[in-house]
Amino acid sequence: MRLLLRGRDIPDLHELSVYQANGGYEALKKALAMQPAEVIDEVKASGLRGRGGAGFPAGVKWSFIPQNEPIKYVAVNADESETGTFKDREIMEGNPHQMIEGALICAWAIQATAVYIYLRGEFWDIGDLLDGCIAEAEAAGFAGENILGSGWSCPVYTHLGAGAYICGEESAMLSSLEGVLGQPRVRPPFPAQKGGGLYKEATVVNNVETLTNVPWILGNGAEAFRAIGTEQSAGTKVFCVSGHVPRPGNYELPLGTPLRELLVDHAGCDPGNIKAILPSGGSGPIVPGTDEVLDTPLSYEAMQGLGTILGSASIIVMDNSVDMTWVASKVTKFFTHESCGKCTPCREGTYWLDKVLDRILAGEGKPEDVQLIDNVAKNMAGTTLCALGDFAANPIIHTISNFPDDFNAHVQPKPEEEKPAASAPRRGRRRRASA
Amino acid sequence: MSLHDPRYKARIASHLAKYPDRRSAVMPLLYIAQEEYGWVSPRGIQEVAEICEMDPTQVKSIAGFYTMYSERTKGRYWLHVCTDLPCALNGAETFYRELQEYLGVEEGGTSADGLFTVEHVMCLAACDKAPMLQCNFRYMESLDMEKMKAWIEEKRAELEAAGQGQGA
Amino acid sequence: MAETVTIVVNDREFQVPAGANLVDAARSIGDLIPVFCYHPKMDPVGMCRMCLVEMGSIQRDRASGEVMLDEDGKPQVRWFPTLQTACTAKVYEGLVIRTDTQEVDQARENVLEFLLTSHPLDCPICDKGGECPLQNLTMEHGPGKTRMVFGDKLNLDKHVPLGDLVFLDEERCIQCARCVRFQDEVVGDDVLAFHERGRSLQIITNSEPGFDSYFSGNTTDICPVGALTTADFRFGARPWELTDVASIDPWDAAGSNISLSTRLDRDADGRAIVKRVMPRQNEYVNEIWISDKARFGHHFSRSADRLAWPTTGESRATWAEALEDAAGRLREAGEDLAIIAGSGLSNEDLYALQQLAKGLGSSRLGAWPPTHGGADLIAQVGVGQGSNLGALGSGDVVLVIATDLEEEVPLWRLRIKQAADRGALLLVANSRGTRLDDFACRQLRYPTGDGAHFLANLQQEDEDIFGRLRDANNLVIVAGAEGLDLAGSRALMQAAANILVETGHVGRPNNGLLSPLPGPNGMGLHYLGFTPENTIGIMTEPPQTLLVAQADLLADDPSAPEWLGKVDNIIELALFQDTLGNRAQVVLPIQSFAERDGSFTSGERRVQRFYRAQGPVGEALPAWQVVARIAEVLGQGRAKASAAAVMLELSQQVAAFEGCRYRDLAWTEKQDPPVGEDLWYGGTALLNRGGLGVQIPAAADRGRVKVAAPVLPAREKVNEGDFRIVPVTRLYNRERAFRATDIVWPRVPAPFVLLNPGDAQRLGVLPDDTVEIEVVDGPAVQVLARLDASIPAGSLALPRHLTTTAMPLTLSAGRVSKVTVAADARVSES
Repeated sequence: MRLLLRGRDIPDLHELSVYQANGGYEALKKALAMQPAEVIDEVKASGLRGRGGAGFPAGVKWSFIPQNEPIKYVAVNADESETGTFKDREIMEGNPHQMIEGALICAWAIQATAVYIYLRGEFWDIGDLLDGCIAEAEAAGFAGENILGSGWSCPVYTHLGAGAYICGEESAMLSSLEGVLGQPRVRPPFPAQKGGGLYKEATVVNNVETLTNVPWILGNGAEAFRAIGTEQSAGTKVFCVSGHVPRPGNYELPLGTPLRELLVDHAGCDPGNIKAILPSGGSGPIVPGTDEVLDTPLSYEAMQGLGTILGSASIIVMDNSVDMTWVASKVTKFFTHESCGKCTPCREGTYWLDKVLDRILAGEGKPEDVQLIDNVAKNMAGTTLCALGDFAANPIIHTISNFPDDFNAHVQPKPEEEKPAASAPRRGRRRRASA
Repeated sequence: MSLHDPRYKARIASHLAKYPDRRSAVMPLLYIAQEEYGWVSPRGIQEVAEICEMDPTQVKSIAGFYTMYSERTKGRYWLHVCTDLPCALNGAETFYRELQEYLGVEEGGTSADGLFTVEHVMCLAACDKAPMLQCNFRYMESLDMEKMKAWIEEKRAELEAAGQGQGA
Repeated sequence: MAETVTIVVNDREFQVPAGANLVDAARSIGDLIPVFCYHPKMDPVGMCRMCLVEMGSIQRDRASGEVMLDEDGKPQVRWFPTLQTACTAKVYEGLVIRTDTQEVDQARENVLEFLLTSHPLDCPICDKGGECPLQNLTMEHGPGKTRMVFGDKLNLDKHVPLGDLVFLDEERCIQCARCVRFQDEVVGDDVLAFHERGRSLQIITNSEPGFDSYFSGNTTDICPVGALTTADFRFGARPWELTDVASIDPWDAAGSNISLSTRLDRDADGRAIVKRVMPRQNEYVNEIWISDKARFGHHFSRSADRLAWPTTGESRATWAEALEDAAGRLREAGEDLAIIAGSGLSNEDLYALQQLAKGLGSSRLGAWPPTHGGADLIAQVGVGQGSNLGALGSGDVVLVIATDLEEEVPLWRLRIKQAADRGALLLVANSRGTRLDDFACRQLRYPTGDGAHFLANLQQEDEDIFGRLRDANNLVIVAGAEGLDLAGSRALMQAAANILVETGHVGRPNNGLLSPLPGPNGMGLHYLGFTPENTIGIMTEPPQTLLVAQADLLADDPSAPEWLGKVDNIIELALFQDTLGNRAQVVLPIQSFAERDGSFTSGERRVQRFYRAQGPVGEALPAWQVVARIAEVLGQGRAKASAAAVMLELSQQVAAFEGCRYRDLAWTEKQDPPVGEDLWYGGTALLNRGGLGVQIPAAADRGRVKVAAPVLPAREKVNEGDFRIVPVTRLYNRERAFRATDIVWPRVPAPFVLLNPGDAQRLGVLPDDTVEIEVVDGPAVQVLARLDASIPAGSLALPRHLTTTAMPLTLSAGRVSKVTVAADARVSES
């Protein structure tokens, strides 16, 4: 069942005429006939949760927007940068109007005055494509001035980022759009509040996939949407499958589909040769490829029960040949490169972890180094300004806890090399007595 | 060469028109500056600052924060090779190393003919089509070294034919 | 008493001001939450993570509003799942925090460990060592040992010049962004920023020139590590060797409180010299900020060409000979004596001069330079007692007219900019654009020379603006003298005073008149009877004998040689050797502000003490003492033994100075925020031990106000083809005293003039062409042309003192022509 990746079924769906021939912009018309609050209620009732990673109920987010502010914005998060994530790209390439329509329905629901689509810089071509779609939609009266004669105007703009993972964090994204450094800002105030959003105005920030669900919900009703997926995870989800996979790619399946069905039946993996799975790109806790894991339904709640997250559902599969120390290093290099540098634990911690991991991988590590990086990662977790600090801590903490042998293999002193260390041995840290 | 050149007028104006604050146009304008000068040159920064009514310090700050703006000169083809985890699981690191060897460059370096600058980058949202890269921000996917060599030589031949194979 | 709320800190309840920042509130009750990025003068950003605490709220029943209790009958607390930054929290009723737990302790240690992984271990050679928050907090909370392998540390550039005055040590920087935020939020010169990201994040400047701001030095004070240091002080001394002496910025009307950090120094033959200048906290005056001119401009005091001994004729004399000579000439002159006093003189000096003249029967007391009229109106309707520009905000209006405050009184410009940020309506009126326009809500323009007419006719001409002035909660008018002659300046001040009186904005705090009177003691000149009108009288009818005290007549006034030529005897009190050339018969060396005790009366009428910081130059004496000794020779009575004694008499004899005895001036009170008390917030905005000063009440504060119609001067006609030449002020220039401060030389621009682009085109002048400006019946000067579209056609703005050629003191007219010169004959800088 495809609600989102309809571009696979319908050729040239990116063209307005084709999109309209397939029911396009009918949901917007329907929404405009409703009161904004009714639209919010419908989306609330659908149980649609944010597809960017956090899984926050979209309708609830919309309802936080103060009604009486004269200026409000919708910011579409198309900064898809999580390692292993390529779903928004396919949605926008194959079904761009549905996202634009979803954004406009959201804009109507909160009575926004403009929509900004923040694309990661590398989506240069998609930017051109969307600009064309927006122009078509405007010409047809679906966007811009006096939309469908309602008297409500809402232009839609694209904005290209320029290569910064952190701009997928909503407050950093808004800063980047404003033309200041794309670093996260202190919340509260949250984007939905006056003072916290784009140009300090109340702003809904939603992911591409989230908004692309909205026309379907309006068109088919909240009940129909709820009928798909699980109680707490309604609808379908686009799962990005990559890594050691015979058939990598995007798979749109109902939430709650077991991981085994996705990886084995669809993507063609050998269940006996899955050492580990990163279910949410680089940022979520890693899990081993056990039967228990493979039999877990892909829902927000079940993945949480497994001690990891569904997140953006970017599922990276690693077979038995993979050294988890290398994985930890790889993911740490990502976060070291992408740390914005604003807050101390993330800026310093990622750099430090990377240095120690390099040494471990080079065979120069000591057993204490594994404890050290585990401890440093734990010191980062929960103390940073945005979630990136936690994301960067996860690959260390969870690879070590799940695959300790992979690390130990690098740091066991080789018998023939046992000799006095060049520098004084690093001792465990001194604990200061608490006052 | 200048961003004040009339041929950029409409494009710049369309970006400025998007935002309630001129400052927001700094990112699109930095792309235009990069296009004009081949890199984000000090002059480009100065001109963007003038147009966006910002201090040049702030423009340089923005240019330095993002990886897609280069504050160094580049070859004609700027190759961003993804070596992030999903691609690396599918041979991207080897691919990148071989590409470097073939072009005779280090990380971030430019080939002797001045045509190709190579860098490794983080995930480019094409994990199912590894190894892959972006050339001047356009996707080239499902690659291998044979395809790359052919492409490189094709580009070299094209420019040879056009008589501008040397220098950049 | 402000509204308070109850918060619970480590199980104890405290009353704190509602809405206060949690770090500040906790500090006020003795719980020191460590911080790096947080600074009470700037918005919190939660970057450094040093202030993590356990945080929660007392739960209340939604229906009844009652506090919910647990089984033990204690209020239930709902805790955040993770530690929260205290700096980004404001206190509210029912806020509960814990700062004494193992978890908090560990978090502090962790953040310090992270910071120290990148920080070098060069405390022994670091300028900040000994007054460094990172050092102090590491001792308090940090790990005892490093787990970072030394070789993993980044090696970065340790000597990056950010412009000419401030250096960055990239290794020491902890990326707290205080400097970046200060320049952006407080100053509005956002010429610092971060470059790159992650661990590569570094402070940069890309302005031209680098770190282009008059307030750059303040970043070195608030830097919580030794990353930013001044070109002045770096590697100059250790903080613990220094003795801080309270002083006052000797350059402008703001009267910024400063500290002169002194040391007995090898370079001064073991005598005390000033090693650095830092702000001294006075929330009424300069908060914790000073201009770079205040910080770096002290070097003139040790310049090699300071006047070191008395001369008579052209030969060195003993003090006894010189005093005798001077007294003889004064005795001979009798009533036919006039005195011209500069604004750098202290109240004590001026009082001594006044008494000397009185004893000889003269009342011709002139103030120098004679550019700004209406100081008497500031005495009438100046800002009310207890005024604080830092209190202006929403609902208030500030009108700034005929001045370029950035260049004339930078501290006022900074504080008025912040008032605008807080919501005050800032109106900036001038005939050209000035920096303050960038922060103004409205820019008002009038023709060159029309400032007084503009304001006098405001009610008729612009009902909207006048209405805003009328309806303001608080109204401050800052009126300068740019583009006006002395009469015009006085008329403008009168017009401003009248608006203030008519709209009821006098006689109360945060309302009234200010003027950027030149120098630090413009109001002292007024209260002691020295007026610019008298000066004009002296210039037109020169006396037989003229006493000139710390006034640079020749450099300021092109007509000085002519009128000084009519004076028989000139007695000069001077800081430098060459001020009046060989025109003075007696030249007596005086001490600078750094070498003696004294007091200035600021533009806000605040009498403030400065203290002796360094040894004298040669035989120089305080000016008051020189004058008193002359008076003694003349039989006018014994010279006082100290400046304090002079001020005691002054406070008894001159009504304005009542209550201004030195011990009154030395009065201090706790400053809020308490930045100066220790090194908690970093930097060294030093505790104010020298006194907050005493503000002389305006007449309006006592209910006495005189209103008079402004006498608007006739608009002078300009000959066809001539330009109106408006002298304007540049903060950094080649004035005699400032010229001796070599550290700032690179920042003093080559002489230039601002031309309207249309005029320039007509004259065939391109930017940076050399033009000659020839004043009608006056001097000519060659300068570089700069184009400025805000300059009205037919006018030009010519900065004072960029060349050493004296140009007319006030508005004049003249011709402009392009000069074609060989490249090697271009305008030199002096």
